[in-house]
Formats: sequence, C-alpha cells, structure tokens
Amino acid sequence: MSPVSRTGPIDDVGLVPFGSGLQRGLDARSLCTRGIELETLAGLGLPVGSGLTIPVPNVQGFTAPDRAKAAMNLVEDIAGREIGTTTETGGLVLLRLSASAPVAAAGLPPDLTCLGLKRSVIPEGLGTKARGELGVAWWKTAAFIAEHALGVPIEDLGSLDFDYPDLVERVEPFRRLCEEKGSSPFPTKRSDQVAAAAQAMLTRWNSPRAARARRKQNLPADLPLALHLETIVVTEHDAEGHGFAMSRDMDSGQFAPNGLFRHGFRAGSERQQSGLPLSSLPNGVEMLTGVLAELEGRLRSSVIVDFEFGPEGLALVGLEQMRKPNARVATSLVVDLVTRGISSEIDAVRAVESTHVLELLHPQPKLTGAEVPFVSGLAASPGAAVGRIAITSESAVDLAESGESVLLVMSETTPGDLPGMMAATGIMTINGGSASHAAVVARGMGRPAICGAGDLRIDHEAQTLTAGAHVLRAGDVISIDGATGVAYVGELMIEPPAPSPSLTAVLGWADDLRRMGVRANADNGADATTAMDSGAEGIGLCRTEHQFMGDRLPLVRRVILSHDFDAEEAALAALADAQREDFRDLLRAVGDRPVTVRLLDAPMHEFLPASADLAEDANQARMLEHMHEENPMLGVRGVRLALMHEGLYPAQVEGLFNAWVDVVSSGDAHPELEVMIPLVSIPDELLMMMRLIRRVNQEVSSRSGMVIPFKIGTMVETPRAALLADQLAQWADFISFGTNDLTQLTYGFSRDDVERRMLGTYLSKGLMTASPFAELDESGVGALMSYAVDKARSVRPDIKLGICGEHGGDPSSIEICERLGLDYVSCSPSRIPVARLAAAHARVGSLISVNSVNVAPVVMEKSGIGS
Amino acid sequence: MSDVVLAEGEHDALVTLVIRGMARGEVSAQQQALADAGLILIKGPIMMPTPAGTAFVSESLRLPDQAPERERIMATFHRFLPVNRALRDLCTAWQVRPDGSVNDHSDENYDADIRDRLDDIDDSVAPLLKRFTEDLPRMAGYREKLTEALAKLDDGDDTWLASPLIDSYHTVWMHLHQELILTIGMSRKEDEELEERLVAESGA
Repeated sequence: MSPVSRTGPIDDVGLVPFGSGLQRGLDARSLCTRGIELETLAGLGLPVGSGLTIPVPNVQGFTAPDRAKAAMNLVEDIAGREIGTTTETGGLVLLRLSASAPVAAAGLPPDLTCLGLKRSVIPEGLGTKARGELGVAWWKTAAFIAEHALGVPIEDLGSLDFDYPDLVERVEPFRRLCEEKGSSPFPTKRSDQVAAAAQAMLTRWNSPRAARARRKQNLPADLPLALHLETIVVTEHDAEGHGFAMSRDMDSGQFAPNGLFRHGFRAGSERQQSGLPLSSLPNGVEMLTGVLAELEGRLRSSVIVDFEFGPEGLALVGLEQMRKPNARVATSLVVDLVTRGISSEIDAVRAVESTHVLELLHPQPKLTGAEVPFVSGLAASPGAAVGRIAITSESAVDLAESGESVLLVMSETTPGDLPGMMAATGIMTINGGSASHAAVVARGMGRPAICGAGDLRIDHEAQTLTAGAHVLRAGDVISIDGATGVAYVGELMIEPPAPSPSLTAVLGWADDLRRMGVRANADNGADATTAMDSGAEGIGLCRTEHQFMGDRLPLVRRVILSHDFDAEEAALAALADAQREDFRDLLRAVGDRPVTVRLLDAPMHEFLPASADLAEDANQARMLEHMHEENPMLGVRGVRLALMHEGLYPAQVEGLFNAWVDVVSSGDAHPELEVMIPLVSIPDELLMMMRLIRRVNQEVSSRSGMVIPFKIGTMVETPRAALLADQLAQWADFISFGTNDLTQLTYGFSRDDVERRMLGTYLSKGLMTASPFAELDESGVGALMSYAVDKARSVRPDIKLGICGEHGGDPSSIEICERLGLDYVSCSPSRIPVARLAAAHARVGSLISVNSVNVAPVVMEKSGIGS
Repeated sequence: MSDVVLAEGEHDALVTLVIRGMARGEVSAQQQALADAGLILIKGPIMMPTPAGTAFVSESLRLPDQAPERERIMATFHRFLPVNRALRDLCTAWQVRPDGSVNDHSDENYDADIRDRLDDIDDSVAPLLKRFTEDLPRMAGYREKLTEALAKLDDGDDTWLASPLIDSYHTVWMHLHQELILTIGMSRKEDEELEERLVAESGA
C-alpha cells in the first residue's frame, strides 16, 4: 500500500488517534489496554496525550518505513508540532512508542521513549539536565533497536556501555558496531527509526523471554500487540513536568488523592519513586480529585493516572487500575461506591476477599497511648515481635537456645549474621533501607524488621543501646512493629485490631446475604466474649476437655482411674461442681444465643499421666498400666469412655444444667443449651446417653424448680455414623460434622504423622492440592457428608446440621458446606469475620479473579471474546 | 591473625563459611580444625565463623592497595552497585507489593512482570561478572549458581528468587556482594554510601 497524504482519511492506514477508537466501534481486541485506557481518559472530556494507536491488525505493516512515516505525520498533526522542532519554552519534540496487549500482560516490550533524534545527535540547545536524561533514554532506545531489530549481540552492546561511559563518545562506536554486526546500519531518518523500533518490539514480543512471561500468566502464545505512538517534549523548563496521582491513601485506604511529580520530561517508562508531593503542584490536588473520583466510579476500582503539565495546562497520559488493592483500599473503596449509589451491597460483599479480612485483622501491637516509643526506622518487614535485645548474632543464638524470644539489634547485618537472624523473632538495624539485603532476608524468613533506625547508637563495650533520652541494655525487652517501623520499650500486647468502619459495614452486608449461621468454637468465657464481639451467633463447639487441664486434671484422672465406687463418686461430685463454675462464665458470655457443649471427647493419653511413675498411688498406677492403649485416637474416647464410666457425662451435664439455672435465675442470660455426644458410631450409644442425660435434667429441674430446656445431638466423626445418619436423626435434634476426625478416618490418615512426613510429597507429586485437614475434601469426605445430610433430613427434615472442625473457618470448605445445605459453620473466634464473609460468598459468589476489574477484559466480554 | 597458617582446603572452607555466614550438617575434618583454631564456632547443628575467623578472611581476601587489578575491579564495582540496588528493589517488590501488602503470589501478572525484569538485571550483571572473574578467578562460580537459581525459579518454585535459606538468586547475589566488599576492603557503610551516590548519578 502506498503512503497516504497527510490529509487523507485515517481509515486508510488504520491509525486511531487517542480517544477516537470507541466511536469507531473498536475495542480492546484492536486498541489493547493502553488504547482503551486513553479512550477512558478522553471520555472525561480532559486533554489526553497527543498520539495514536496502531491497532492490532495494522501493527505488522507498521514496520514498513512508509507506514511509520504516515503515522508520524498524523501524530504531528494531532500535536500541532513537528518532530525535532523546538517549543516556545525551548523543549525538543520527540516520539515515544509503547506497546500493549488486549489484556493486562507482563513481559511487554519496554517503552521506547526517545525516538526521532536525527543521526543520534543530541541538540545543543537543551539544558544540561535534559541533555543528560535524554542521553540515558536515547541509549536505552538505541540499544533496544540495535539488539532486537538489527540483531547486534547484547554482549557487544554491554561492552560498549562499559567501555564508553560518556554517551556522546559512545555514539560513533555504536554506529560502527551496528554497521559491523547488525543486519543494517542504525537508521538515521526519523521514520526509519520508528519503523525499526516497531520491528524491535515485535521481535522482542516473539522472543523466548516474552513467551515465558505469557506462559507464566497463562496467556495465549499468540497474544497480539497494538502499538501507541505519541509526542514527548524533552524539557527542563520549570513550568513543565510530569507525575502521577493515585486516588487512595495506601495506609488508610481512604479516598485521598496523592502522588508525586517532577519537572522535566518523562524519560523512562516506569513511574518515578521520588519527586515533589502532588500537594506542591499548584491546583494539582483540586484538578485531579474530580478526575480520580469520576474514574473510580466508572471503573469501580482505585486508580492511578499519569499526567503531564505545561503552559497549556494538564494532559492525562496514562491510567492504571489497581488490580489487586490491599485490604484497606479494597474495603474502603467498596463502601464508598455503595455510599455513592454506584455499587450495590451485594457487589461490595463480592468484591472483598477473605484474605482481605485476614489482612485487616492480623495481630498487631495494641497501642493504648501509655506505651513508650524507643526509636523509629523504616518499616522493612511487616509483623510485630517482642523479645530480649541481643546485639550480636552469637548472643542472639545463645539467648534463643535458653528459650528466650530474641530481637537482634545491630548496626547492619552481613551474611555472617544469618544464624542470629534465624534465632531472632525480629530484627532491627541502624543502617540500610527497606530494600537492604537484611530486609530481603528478614522478609524471606518471615521475621518482622525495622531498618535504618538512624537515631540508635549501640555501645558494644557497655552493652547499651541509646536512642534520644532512652538507654536500654542488651537483654532488656522491647517490642517492634515492622509495619510502622516503630520500636517500643518493654512488652506490648499483640492482638487483632478492632475492625475498621468499612470492614464492619461489609461484614454487616455479608450477614444479610448469607444463609448459613456462623458460630464459634469456644471453651471458656473469654473466648466466647471475643467470638460474640466478632459477630458469632452462638457457640457451635465447647470442648469440655479443655476445662480439665490444669488443676482440674486430678479430678478427671480419679474418675477414670478410681478403683472403688466411693472414690469415683467423690471425684464425680467434685467434677460436677467444677464444671458448674466453668459453664457459668461461658453461658454468661453467650447471652441468649445457642451453645453446643460437647461432652468429654479427648483420647485418654491427653489427660492421663504419661507413665505409671506419675500416678497418685499404687492402685492408680496399676489401672494406668491396665488402660494403656496402642492407638488412643482410635481407642476408648468420647461416648465409649462415657459408657465405661457411666457417671462421667451425667456429672458434666449436671454442672451444665446447674450453671444454666444460676445464670438464668440471676437474669444474666438465657442461653439455648445443646448437649452433644461425641464419637458415636453405633446409634444405640447415643440412645443410652440420652436417657442418662434426660434423667439428670429432670433431677436438676426438680431441685431448682425451673424447667431447663435443652436439645441433644451428636457428632458425625466416624464414617459409620455418617452412613447411619438416618438412625441417629431419629433421636438427635442436631448433628454436627467433626470433620477433623471424619477426614482422618475416611482417608485412614493419622493427621500428625501425615502432615509432618507425607503431605509435602503428595502436594509436590500433584496427588493433592491442599491438606485435606485445611481444605475439606469434597469428593471423599464431602460425599460422606452429603450422604449423611440426605439420610438425616429424610427422617427429620428440620434437623439442624452444622460443622465444627477447623474447616468451619476455611473459605473453600465453607463453600462446600453451603452446597451441602448445612445450617451453620462453627470455627475459632479469630476466624469468625472470615467465616461471615465466606458464608456470604458461598451464597452469592465473589469476584476473586484478579482480572475481573480490568477495563480491557470487560470490553472484551461485551464483544464476546472474553472467554 | 596473619600468623595463623591454614592448609589450602581449610582456608577455602573458612572463606566459604564467612561469605555464607553459616553452615549446617556434619562437621568435616577441615571445619573441626578451624573450630580447634578458634576460627569457627560449632553450635549444635550450626557452624558459624567467630569474629577471629571473619577477621582472618577479611585480611586474606583484601586486595593490597597497590595491586594492579584493583583499579579495574573498582571500576567494575562502580557499575555493579546500581545493578545491586536494582536487584534488591526487585526482590523487595517480589516480597512486598507497592502498596505495602505482602505479595502472596496469587497475581500471575505481577509475578511475571518481576520475573521478566529479572532478565534485565541478569543481562546487566553478566558482563560485570565476566570482568570480575578475569581478575578474580575464584569468582567464576557465581555465574553458574545464578543461572541454576533462575532455572529452578522457572521450573515453578518461587522460593528460588529471594528465599534466604537456599541458594536462591538473592542469596547467591548477596554472597557475591559480600565477597566483593571483602576483596575491596570496604565497610558496609562505605559500600552503602557509594551505592547511594552512584544510583543518584545514574539517574535511576
């Protein structure tokens, strides 16, 4: 095709000036992400960069000089300036060529920022700073073209770079190198340079390196490119510059436009890390606030815009949506969008991920205002740690060996300090930045760290650390917060923070959307209070064996090991009294909500003495030897133990019923009691226990004069119980799946052994994708549960079904529970917020896909090629 | 310390331990001899250099001021430091996303971008390693170790970029940097200041 005249219609060469693509019916397939970004920016009615897109179908032809010349001419028309001329403020007009793909992609060729220098000569008229920056940018552009379009070996280009540090002196040897080793000399004509630059980009996009990047992102091997050609003005005039503005504050997540700018021209393709704050640009924040708010509303994501400014005002030259915002930004954004009437509450719940909730509620130092800051530095590795100060690697190892928690505090660390860093729970250094080797190592080890605490002085002779007025000694306790970079004197409490207002709002909407209830596994009043504060609707599992540890241990041992009736009776009576006290605290914390109390389930080895030597007397020692079990997890535990010691469960429920009478009669609370019998595999085990428990209920009721309502149910922890769930449901008011044991027994896995020794191999061989104890195995354990659910409901349609294993707090397992139709999940108090959100996601879906907020895929979807 | 005489194998073992910082596993005869000489410390399964061992290696590796190759090595080192900064920034980005949150490696696009940029750094360091090795043949092994780490990373194991407990790309690089500092005889602080100046000058 022949070159077109400068006034010819753009359709002839398929060139699309920024902002004119959508009206021509083009989409991301031809304009690619950068083209669409500029369409979006142009849609705001503000000036955008002067340039055009060479759409996908026309890119290959663009490597011909005549086509490149036509494009260059059109860019000159759009900009109203000729390439190579000087502006009123003394700037030099050049070209920038960039590439993008129909979807967000890494591995794209870099922007070539300084095209159009005739004969590679930097004009004299420019100032020193602009000449210097232009020189660096020119070399990157020229070397890229030489390597990828002319085939000059990279080793030769590297040697040139090394041998001729002065860029002006490098030009001539570079020209000779291209003539000698390249397929053709380096182009001197502007249009030839542009064509060669396009060729270089395509060659690079077809290189093994780019192919690897596409593979890593699961992108098609033949993903095409569009190219974008625009003007830049090389300048160092005070009135001209460039920068970026982001819509949100990354720490608070709030809408708070902020960014950086600098004078001069945009020489590189990456956003600058340093510069003046946006607030220093006259009217900068005011000008961009409306733009950023509008973009957030249109794109429903937090955004970053790149801009340039000059005597004519502001032009928007780039747009980035934050594809994976942090938890603070994500929650704050969705709440703002709901408040603005742009998104619905259901959209908001879908857009927040479970990992965001975990991130927001990650334990951190609790600041009360009374703490004493010791010194500040750079936040180098997130997390908090408390420990004794060690000022050498060796002393850190020694302190850690003696069982102390250690914080390694040094001027700087070298590889030789690795043992100390490993021994420490946290690290602080005086020198080094947040990208120092020490910081990289600390993060790699998962150790919280502060670097660059420049006000700190260490005196190794005196063993002291001084920061301002504070003098501490090696061995003193400090706390560090690697997320803020502040160290404190003494020990700070480290606990989950209170949920932010945004998170509270999102969880509230999640509660409205979910079908399943969310309860907590809590064994005492304190845990129950935490759980209720986090939004638990009751207790789904109170493990009574946890109340038997400490000073209660001898009581339960006497019950099990007693050699005569009187001794057992005495021990049982003491046990009932002790349990009454435990349950009182728990029931008060529960209030009027349901509470499921599981009677003793622990395997005996967990509360019996480890050897006969530790028995209270000879009789106990004899019993102990008699009761030794080869495999306690499959031995006499749960209901089996209760059937062998028939006073055990009645004593426990006597304590429970008495506690209920106490809290109800005092007006403190009116909990709904649910008594749960564990480890049933024969339905009659349940029946026998129910009879005993009902008798105790009647006894306590008549003694107290109060009717004590309660439900009785069982756990499904054994495959046999799952298979006979219909028989269990004849008597059980509820069934709770104990999926830790059910997983062990379905697979025939001993959890501790398998997780420690086998799981890694199975994961690496692809036999499993996750531990079945962390993520519920839907095809095996889930199938048993499904069978049990159907069987149980066939007998008793209104039976309440729940889960109380660790899976109850795992989002993927919660999704399975929703599919199974369970009524509630129960999990540890710290997982309650995650479970509330995950239960809502299980009901209405979530937007976990990273690309789901991108502009380009949305447009593609509308065009029908999104899949 | 210069009056300590070590057999060649012991010397190499000590240099390796000082540069790596620690070793695990069974104690070799050479390591036992070094421990007996007070140059290394054996603590349970871990071996680490003593201050005397570190001082010995510092003195033994340091190039004399008048060494003919010193100027060449310094010139290359000046080119190395800005690349060193770029590598540390890249490892930081691999661990922490720009908004301060931990990179959980669930964003393939983000990770692929970092892996792609690592090629630029590897391309930049390749000619420098070649030049260092011309004057310091003992440094020849770094190129191979960096390539090994890259290969393992590309096999799909993310830990081979920056994990400190294996010979990941960053670990090998850190050892290289440490050996250069010891060879030049520069303190960490001087090294940091020089790097800062060179990075500012390079306009990065």
